Amino acid sequence: MSANHALHTELPAEPEKATLEGRNKILGFWLFLGGECVLFGSLFATFIALRDKANGGPTGVELFSLPLVALATILLLTSSLTSVMSILAMHKKNVSQMVVWLVITALLGLGFLGLEIYEFTEYVHEGHSLTSSAFGSAFYTLVGFHGAHVAFGLLWLFALLATTGKKGLTVVTAPKYFVFSLYWHFVDLVWVFIFTVVYLMGKVGI
Amino acid sequence: MTDTHSGANQKGEKHLPSQHSARNHLITFALSIVLTAIAFAAVALEQVDIKSVVPFIFLLALIQAGFQLFVWMHLDQKGHQFQRIFIGGGAFVALLAVIAFSYWIWW
Repeated sequence: MSANHALHTELPAEPEKATLEGRNKILGFWLFLGGECVLFGSLFATFIALRDKANGGPTGVELFSLPLVALATILLLTSSLTSVMSILAMHKKNVSQMVVWLVITALLGLGFLGLEIYEFTEYVHEGHSLTSSAFGSAFYTLVGFHGAHVAFGLLWLFALLATTGKKGLTVVTAPKYFVFSLYWHFVDLVWVFIFTVVYLMGKVGI
Repeated sequence: MTDTHSGANQKGEKHLPSQHSARNHLITFALSIVLTAIAFAAVALEQVDIKSVVPFIFLLALIQAGFQLFVWMHLDQKGHQFQRIFIGGGAFVALLAVIAFSYWIWW
């Protein structure tokens, strides 16, 4: 049935799952996300073990600014909402609306990344760097890895947006948008644990 | 969570439009914002006892993670058994690493 579907000019209700290839892409992507869980789990475990080893440098209580983290959280959480809105638009076969939601997602992601770069440069000025202490190494590896995921996601999104005009929405392109939205939700999910474990627990100071 | 009949694969299934409604997503978003606000307030205002604040905010994070996975990433829908196994396996290993390292440091 999947081959027949691909030939139809009319898009099916859920174009990302209309072909076997599309379904396999989504399934395979979940396996990748399982692997990402292991990766971030290891980084979280390392951070939890080393978070109070500041080596005489600034500690989390001194460094972290909750309003800045709260703003970053709002930006990323909202971008997760806008990416799910883009999938809703895709299911309505409304390509221009999907693109609008994806562009908003990209802008919010860029805002988040800008805040993180600002935050990191501030910390380095205060003597908290990758090599200043075990806390520094664990902090920049964990939070930086998440930031790198956001940066990679943005490049991915720009690549998708660049091809949308030419390729349009088909059973071939639909899984690409869907898988991107899964990735973006996962990045936000990791951030939920980062603001809890790194920033809030760091501010509590135990 | 919906039922998990292994026979009901993606092939023959018809999703109800309500599963994808924008209203559901907006409610989830609002709840996530509220949970985030409570977590930040618990730490910033120091209203919760210092010993119980960490388990408390961790619980809030877990609830929010559940929203992401089951509402926004559609894990609650039929035909997602393998997806649940994959992400559950990954989460299990991640949790194991965190527990092992915490135990190593604190005891």
